[in-house]
Amino acid sequence: MQYVIIGSSAAGINAIEAIRTKDKTSKIIIISDEKNPLYSRCLISYLLAGTIDGKKIWYKPDSFFKDNKVEALLGIKAEKINIKKKEIAIGNKEKIKFDKLLIATGASPKLEDIPGIDKKGVFPLRTIEHTTEIQSMLDKVKSVAVLGGGLIGLRAAYALKNRGKNVSVFVKSGSILSQIIDKDAAGIMQKRIEERGIKIFTGVAAKEITGAKSVDGVALDNGSKHDCELVIIGKGVSPNVEIAKDAGIKTSWGILANERLRTGVEDIFTAGDVSETNDIALEESSINAIWPAACEQGRIAGLNMTGENETYEGSLAMNSIEFFGLPVISVGITKPKSDRYKEIVKKDAGKNIYKKIVLKDGIIVGVIFVNSIENIGIIGTLIKNKADVTSIKDIMLEDYFDYGKIAPLIKKSKRGFKEPEFKETIMTL
Amino acid sequence: MKKIYCNIKKCLGCGSCEIACAIEHSKSRELNKSIAESPLPVKRRKAEFVEESVSISTGCHHCENAACVTACMSGAMYKDKKTALTQHDKDRCVGCWMCIMTCPFGAVTRLREEKIVLKCDLCPDRDKPACVEACQTKSLFLGTLKEFTKICST
Amino acid sequence: MAKPTGNPINDKLLEIAAQNNISTVWDRFMEQEPHCGFGTLGVCCKICNLGPCRIDPFGEGAQKGACGADADTISSRNLVRNAAAGAACHSDHGRDLAWTLLELGRGHVKDYSIKDPAKLKKLAVEFSIKIDGKGDLKIAEELGEVILKEYGQQEGELTLTKRAPKKQRDNWKKTNVNPRGIDIEVVQAMSRTHIGCDNEYKHVLESAIRASLVDGWGGSMIATDLSDILFGSPEPIRAEVNLGVLKEDEVNILLHGHEPILSDIMVTASQDKELVELAKKYGAKGINLSGICCTAAEVLMRHGVPMAGSFLQQELAIITGAVEAMIVDIQCIMPSLPEVAKSFHTKLISTSPKAKFVGMEHIEFHEKDALETAKKILRIAIENYKNRNRSKVNIPKEKMTLVAGFTMENIFYNLGGSFRPSYRPLNDAIISGRIRGVAGVIGCDNPKNESGLCHAEMVKELIKNDVLVVQTGCSGSACAKAGLLTPEAAFKFAGDGLKEICETVGIPPVLHTGSCVDNTRILTACCEMVKEGGIGNSIDELPVAGAAPEWMSEKAIAIGWYFVASGIFVVIGTPLRVMGSKNVTNYICNEIEPLYGGKWAFEGDPIKAAHLMVEHIDKKREALKLKPLICAKV
Repeated sequence: MQYVIIGSSAAGINAIEAIRTKDKTSKIIIISDEKNPLYSRCLISYLLAGTIDGKKIWYKPDSFFKDNKVEALLGIKAEKINIKKKEIAIGNKEKIKFDKLLIATGASPKLEDIPGIDKKGVFPLRTIEHTTEIQSMLDKVKSVAVLGGGLIGLRAAYALKNRGKNVSVFVKSGSILSQIIDKDAAGIMQKRIEERGIKIFTGVAAKEITGAKSVDGVALDNGSKHDCELVIIGKGVSPNVEIAKDAGIKTSWGILANERLRTGVEDIFTAGDVSETNDIALEESSINAIWPAACEQGRIAGLNMTGENETYEGSLAMNSIEFFGLPVISVGITKPKSDRYKEIVKKDAGKNIYKKIVLKDGIIVGVIFVNSIENIGIIGTLIKNKADVTSIKDIMLEDYFDYGKIAPLIKKSKRGFKEPEFKETIMTL
Repeated sequence: MKKIYCNIKKCLGCGSCEIACAIEHSKSRELNKSIAESPLPVKRRKAEFVEESVSISTGCHHCENAACVTACMSGAMYKDKKTALTQHDKDRCVGCWMCIMTCPFGAVTRLREEKIVLKCDLCPDRDKPACVEACQTKSLFLGTLKEFTKICST
Repeated sequence: MAKPTGNPINDKLLEIAAQNNISTVWDRFMEQEPHCGFGTLGVCCKICNLGPCRIDPFGEGAQKGACGADADTISSRNLVRNAAAGAACHSDHGRDLAWTLLELGRGHVKDYSIKDPAKLKKLAVEFSIKIDGKGDLKIAEELGEVILKEYGQQEGELTLTKRAPKKQRDNWKKTNVNPRGIDIEVVQAMSRTHIGCDNEYKHVLESAIRASLVDGWGGSMIATDLSDILFGSPEPIRAEVNLGVLKEDEVNILLHGHEPILSDIMVTASQDKELVELAKKYGAKGINLSGICCTAAEVLMRHGVPMAGSFLQQELAIITGAVEAMIVDIQCIMPSLPEVAKSFHTKLISTSPKAKFVGMEHIEFHEKDALETAKKILRIAIENYKNRNRSKVNIPKEKMTLVAGFTMENIFYNLGGSFRPSYRPLNDAIISGRIRGVAGVIGCDNPKNESGLCHAEMVKELIKNDVLVVQTGCSGSACAKAGLLTPEAAFKFAGDGLKEICETVGIPPVLHTGSCVDNTRILTACCEMVKEGGIGNSIDELPVAGAAPEWMSEKAIAIGWYFVASGIFVVIGTPLRVMGSKNVTNYICNEIEPLYGGKWAFEGDPIKAAHLMVEHIDKKREALKLKPLICAKV
């Protein structure tokens, strides 16, 4: 048996660990175009911000591949998959055979097709190399323009503000973090971010990045020009599906995976930001390019590669961010688009607290908690298990809401809460 | 794998587990001194009200497939290879709150200022966790799920 | 198996208990560990049915009860109720004696008499009774009436508070804690601490002080004085202590509890020839009475009846297998006794109309037919001798001698010798620096601390530092067992200055002054020291301190409070249950000192606690500009 994994971030690493719980001896080969892949991608903005030291970013020890008896082909790009021959062509024309393959090629930053994007001083923020390069030029930077008000854009903005730069964020849509939270929550977050000195311009997009060789500014679609020495592109990511698509593996937005995280092709699995799976809240196929989903998918794909029969229940959008001491967490559908959904909201403007739960037919499908994030995991559990929360809907946003309050639902639930950890409640309540 | 279980039928919600937990995780490990410490010690276990005269003492369940470990992006939350317990290395914690986002039991405590989290560590310095020893009704139990099931059925 | 008590006698008997599956206070104590933190810190409120409520001492959870009471209010109210209960116990004890005195005066009881007519007259005068030309019984009747009236008095002040130095009385008036009557202050302590009543913690605590002053300068003081009148003022007497006082070949009868009304008549009855003969008929050589807890102190100091043990040893006494009967009345009697006695032949007999116990025979004791009842009880005990199972008898060998029976009237008369019956010699010894000061070490024994060992450690450290120690209750018993209550102890343990005084006068360095109501003897002594002059014009100026290293009962709380409010620094082993409130703790341990001259301190280590007392005494000596100690050790 020979396992091959393409991609060595969260999904790939978790797949290795999962395989090794079942199969201690077979060969595992990992192919990664990153030279030093054992870092946590989510931490690169922390590294850029200087809020963690360089060591913390390495979330697995250097010896990880050795410890798990993995042959790591690093800094090498997988070029082509031959599904019939069950082999992969890599950069140096070599062919790698596989019995089981995991495609965890991840995603790449969306680089907008705007003029000047190739100038010196324009970066996305996706890899540790991006961070290193940005850091190396920071001495010469006074002002930064961040294009995009999503997670990555704002994290970059926060990081660079923390480094003492003048930071302006240009957000095409009407509000920040529009992919993950609603306008009310965004308003609270934006206020805090602006109070701490980051300028946010909504409804404005960059038309052109100006400068000779290096960036000297951004021309905006409102006709004005913004001077800066650094531009960060934070426009989200798109899945790296090409290699799968070229090989004839079924793709849509991402690589389509079944509930075993297998692709349309026998022995080929997929996990992480590239894979498209069932979204529990949306109840349709989608990509949730987030760390927890990548890890979970990697683990289940890995197990199934060894012949296990683990089911992946699906992914759920979820994000946790904190800016200047103000945390926000959102899970599932936070901006429902039809009136089939109901919302329950609790606000405390003085304390910057905003809590919203989105319901559909008595079942929670989404939640946003700002500045009072405790116990949000319990709401997440209710989403995942599709529990009817009618009986507790009046207390779910109260401060005293906790696990105890959902215990009766767990006891009553017929389909959900299958994990052994819930047995204590089911058995003794 | 041994962990802490609560027999809800026996739990009075007295909060003795909470206090014992906080004391065990204080500097002095003495009630009267610990309440004067700065910062105050933080409990990792909670006595929660369920419904009329029903309570549960809850904390980290050291889940088999721990969502917090999966979600943790810094490697701070990890599965101990020997004990299979979910442990937390506060030196690696960056305060991203991903564990809080995913814990089904609300068992992860956030320290706002320190920007780290805390959770049950099953009292590594003791034979029996402090909360289990403190439980006046023997509602808290340290053992395997099988053992717990057995004592609950007798 | 319970944790070792550090006392080999106890440990040996506990081993027997373990072998026989008998649970003792040490086992049950361990089962309670860890004690409820909310209760320990005083932040659990059960006063109303919105609750029970509790305050999270770690700040995360609720900081207010349902009604809005915070930790300050809750802990202070709880403390008030504890103090009121303690004061109620001592006051009821005094009430029973006053009632007995009244009934004696009325001629309704025949088995008691006035044993100290001089003290009767002295006390009657204090209560403004004209004694000229009146017989003792008439005086007794009038005094009984006046005292009982003081229980129901609604205004004015307590007669015996007039014994206190002016400054103390001024302090009480200034802070509005001067008690008006005895019962009213206990009642009001309860009513004020009802839900939604008194909530400002400093004001709430006034109720604790008022109720406690009622104890020290009211109920307890009355109890002490009337006991002396009815049963005789003690005189120094040599006796024996510890479980080794039980005898292999005699009918062993233990008297346990508090009130001398029962125990004293039992002593009389035990000397009845008919009963002694009966004992012999059953094969015993005689009747051997001995005491447990404070009753032991009452009969010890007046009759030299040996002291079998302290509060903690009550179960162990039965486990010796050699006890025919244990006769109990009130307070500190463990409900566990019948369970322990099941394994032995011991009969347990409760006697007080105030206290019944599941599993005990109840033979109610009334003043009117006291002797008859006492004989009836003794007969049951004697008849039980035949049931003693010799194979179960394990009487420890250990016993110790002690000298007990010191009172405020006799201690320093002894000091001065018969020619100088005054406090002058004591005051002079303090002024000249032979004695550093005086410490009262009192209170219960408690498995939480060292099960009695704290007392001896603390007292040794005090006398080593030339502090004369006075003792009551179970603390006295603990130190007696350690041999500290003998004149010889001065040579072994006392500092040179104190040794010199003890040697000259022939007294122990540690003076046993009675039961827990007799702590008032210490108050009276303080008043006498002030009166004698030279070491301060009020109690708070005296170089004295108090301690209860192993306190456990609510009475100890009331006692502590009346000492603190009377100007004395009081160190206790485990904190009062107020630690959940920083404000209340700080108030009673610091802020209260300028108001009353006394304050509380909490220190579990008996040596450290002794040093706190020595430091306090030195502070007072310094303020009085007294000479340095003659034989000072640093």
